[in-house]
Amino acid sequence: MAPRKNASFNRRDFLKNVAAGAAVVTATPAARATPSPFEGRNATAPPISAKAELRALPRTEILTAERTGSDFMVDVIKSLGMEYVCANPGSSFRGLQESIINYGGNHSPEFITCLHEESSVAMAHGYAKIEGKPLLVLAHGTVGFQHAAMAIYNAYCDRVPVYIIGGNIIDATKRIPPVEWTHSVQDAAAMVRDFVKWDDLPTSLPHFAESAVRAYKIAMTPPMMPVVLVVDAELQENPISASASWMVPNLVLPSPPQGDSGSVAEAARLLVEAENPVLITDRTARTPAGMARLIELAETLQAPVIDEGGRMNFPTRHPLNQSERADELIANADVILGLELSDFWGAIHSFRDQIERTSRPTTKPGVKLISISAGSLFLKSNYQDFQRFTAVHVDIAADAEATLPSLTESVKRLITSDRKEALHDRGANFAAARQDDLRRARDAAAYAWDASPISTARLSSEIWAQIKGEDWSLVSDPIFLSSWPLRLWSFEKYYQFIGTSGGYGIGYGAPAAVGAALANRKYGRLSVNIQCDGDLMYAPGVLWTAAHHRIPVLNIMHNNRAYHQEVMQVQIMANRHSRGIDRAKIGTTIDDPGIDYAKLAQSMGVYAEGPISDPKDLGPAIRRAVDVVKRGQPALIDVLTQPR
Amino acid sequence: MSYCIASRKLLIALLIGSPLAPLPVAKPKPAGDVQTGKIIFEKLGCQRCHGSVGEGMIATGKDASPPKIAATRLSLGDFVQSVRKPKGQMPPFGSQQVSDPELSDVYAYLQSLGSQPKLVLPSSASPQNGQHLYMAFGCYECHGYQGQGSVETGGSRIGPPQIPYSSFIAYVRQPTGGMPPYAVKAASDAQLADIYVFLKSRPQATPSKSISLLNQ
Repeated sequence: MAPRKNASFNRRDFLKNVAAGAAVVTATPAARATPSPFEGRNATAPPISAKAELRALPRTEILTAERTGSDFMVDVIKSLGMEYVCANPGSSFRGLQESIINYGGNHSPEFITCLHEESSVAMAHGYAKIEGKPLLVLAHGTVGFQHAAMAIYNAYCDRVPVYIIGGNIIDATKRIPPVEWTHSVQDAAAMVRDFVKWDDLPTSLPHFAESAVRAYKIAMTPPMMPVVLVVDAELQENPISASASWMVPNLVLPSPPQGDSGSVAEAARLLVEAENPVLITDRTARTPAGMARLIELAETLQAPVIDEGGRMNFPTRHPLNQSERADELIANADVILGLELSDFWGAIHSFRDQIERTSRPTTKPGVKLISISAGSLFLKSNYQDFQRFTAVHVDIAADAEATLPSLTESVKRLITSDRKEALHDRGANFAAARQDDLRRARDAAAYAWDASPISTARLSSEIWAQIKGEDWSLVSDPIFLSSWPLRLWSFEKYYQFIGTSGGYGIGYGAPAAVGAALANRKYGRLSVNIQCDGDLMYAPGVLWTAAHHRIPVLNIMHNNRAYHQEVMQVQIMANRHSRGIDRAKIGTTIDDPGIDYAKLAQSMGVYAEGPISDPKDLGPAIRRAVDVVKRGQPALIDVLTQPR
Repeated sequence: MSYCIASRKLLIALLIGSPLAPLPVAKPKPAGDVQTGKIIFEKLGCQRCHGSVGEGMIATGKDASPPKIAATRLSLGDFVQSVRKPKGQMPPFGSQQVSDPELSDVYAYLQSLGSQPKLVLPSSASPQNGQHLYMAFGCYECHGYQGQGSVETGGSRIGPPQIPYSSFIAYVRQPTGGMPPYAVKAASDAQLADIYVFLKSRPQATPSKSISLLNQ
C-alpha cells in the first residue's frame, strides 16, 4: 500500500510554517561568511530570488517540541478506557511510548514492560478473558509483529479482543540506515491480516482517532478478535501546535447480534419437545451474564450441559453439568443445541488416528442439531480454524449470550404443566448422576495417589486444599492435567476459569496467566497458574514482568520434562512402523539436564521452591507460596509430575 | 454412519420387501459378523463404559460400574433386551440407533473376545523388567507411570489390569481405539508378559473416602 504523506502535519511543513510566521529562521554569522559556490565563477548567473535565498540560508534547527501527534493519540487511547499497555520497547513507536508515560502520566494506560512481543499479546489475551475488554499492545510493525504472530493467532482462534498498535517508518527518506530500513515495511499488517479481524493505516491524526475507535468497536463485537493499527513514526513524532484539537469520536459499543425470533422459536420448540435434549457449550459466556443465562436455560429445560471449556460457562458441580457423561448423552440425544462451539463436528463425531484415518458420528440417526454461534458471521479463508462443516437443522448466526434470554423465554412459554413435571424428573436423575460422577472422579484420582513423580490428580487436590478458602481464579488451561481441576474443584464464578488458548499455540500459558492475574489484581483475587514446563520456556521472561510489576500469581509447575503431546505423537509413528518404539523421547523431552525452574524464577526476582517430587512436601510448599502471593508478589513451585 | 452399515440396512430392507417394514425383533440373524460388530461396538461408544475389549469399567469397581460384557453369558435375545431396556445407568439404545442385526454383530464380536486362544502367562514374567519396558515402550505416555490412566490421553486405567492376559495381548496387538498397535516385531509376547505382571503388581487405590483431600 502506498503511503500518503500527511500534508497538514509533516515535520518539514511545520518548520516552514513556523519560519514564515514567527521569523525564527535566521542566518548564522558563520553561514554568512561562507562564500556561495557560485560567487566569482559565473557572473552572468541569474540572481537568486529572495524566496529562494531564504530557503538556501542555513537555519536554526528546531530541536524540541512541546506537543506531538502521539500526545493526541494518547488522548484517543485514554478515551477507550485502556488500563494497561503491554510492550517490549521498540523505536518505531518510541513517540507513542514517551507520550504514554509522560503526557499520559503512565496511568490508564500504565506501561507494562514485556520481554517478548508474544508475551505482550498473550498477556492481553489472558487479561481480556478476565476483564472482558482489551488492553493495548505496542509492537514494531515488522520484527514485533513477527514475534507476536503466534499469540495473535491464538487470540484470533479464541475469539478474544486484543488491540495492537504497530510502529512503522513509511517515508524511505526518513529512515535511519541501516536498522530502520530493515525494520520498515510497505504493509506491516499484511503478515497478520489473515488472523486479525480488521487493520488500518491511519495517515492523519483525525484518521487515527476514527480508526482507533472503529478498531475498538470491531474488536468488541462478537465474534471478538484482534485488531491492528499501524502508525507511522512521523505521525507520532511530528509536532502539533499547542492549540491543535481534533474530535475524538464517542465510543458506543454495538449491540451483539441476536438470533431472529423465528429461528429462536423453532429452536425452543425442538428443545421442549425433545426427550433427550443436550446443551453443548464452548465459548458461550463472554461475561458473567452469559453464565447466568445458560444456567437459566438448562434449569428451565432440566437439560444436561456438556461444557467443552472454552470459557467459564457453567458451574462444575451444578447438577446439570454432565460433562463427564458427554459420550453417552450425545449418543442418546434427540436434540443437540451447540452454543458457540468452536468445533461442532468434533463434538458429535469420533475420529481415529490410525494409518487409515476414520471418523464416525457419535449421534443417533435423526438427531436434530441447533447451532447458535457468532462464528458464522465472520470467517476467513486461509487458516482453517473454522473446523469441519456441520450440517445443522437450525443455524442461528448470532451471539449465544445475547440470544439466550429470548430462547429461554420462548422455552418457558412452550412448557406445559405436565411437561414441567416430566422435566423435573429428568433433572432429578441428572442430579444423582452428577454426584455419581464426582464419586467416580475421586475414586479415579486415588490411583497413583502417593506416586513420585506426583500424579496430576494429587497435584490438583493439593492446590485445591490451599486455595478453596480464598477468592481464587484459575488462570490456566488444565487439559494437560487430565482436566483434574475441572473434575475435582468447585468452579462457581465467572472469573474462576479462563478457558483455553484457542489456537493451541504453545507459549500462551505463562503470559496469559500473568495477563489474567494483572486483571485480577485490583479485585484482590488469588490467581493460580498451573504451568506446563515446555510452555514456560518459550518466553520465561514473563516471570520477570510479574515480579517487576508486582503482579501476584501463584505458579505451580506441571513439570513432566517433556513436550509430552509430541512424545505421544512420535510414539504413534514408531509403533505404526514397528521400529524404535523406545526412541520417542528423542527430540521431544526436556531432560538431561532437567531445568531448574525454581532457580530460573528466583533469578528474575520471583519467590520459588522446588523441584518437589514427594507428594507429602507439596501441600506445605504451596501454602508458603500462597502467603507470598497474598502479599502481592508472584511465586513459583516447581513440581515433578506424571505426564498427564 | 459408516458405508457398510448403511448398505446392509438397505439390503435387509430389500430382502423383506418393503423399505418401511419394521426390522425383526429379537430374531436377529443367528451368526453376526465379528468385524462389523467391532466397528459398531466402537461407533456406539460401548468401550467408553465397558472397556475397549468389553472387560468392564475400569473406573471404580463399584456396584454401579458397567459390567464386563466380553464373552457375555447372556443369550442373544437377552443381550438385545439389555441394550434396549437397560437397568441401572446405562442409556437405552433404540432401534434407530442400532438395529437388531447390528446388535447381533456386536454380540458376535463380544463372543469372539472370549473365544480367543488362551495364552498362558509365563511364570518367568518379570515385573521388574516389565516396569523397565513399560517405560521404554512408552506405555506410560498415555497410561501414566503407575497405569492410572488419563482422560486427556484416552489411556484407560490399566494398573492393575482388569482383563485377562489373553485379552491384554489381543488388545495391544490389535487395539480398537486410538492406541498405537504394538506388533510382534516391536514387542514380543514375552516382553508384553513382563509388562502385564508389572501392571498386575500395581496396587489397588486407597478408597477415596479415606483420603481427606479427595473429599473437599
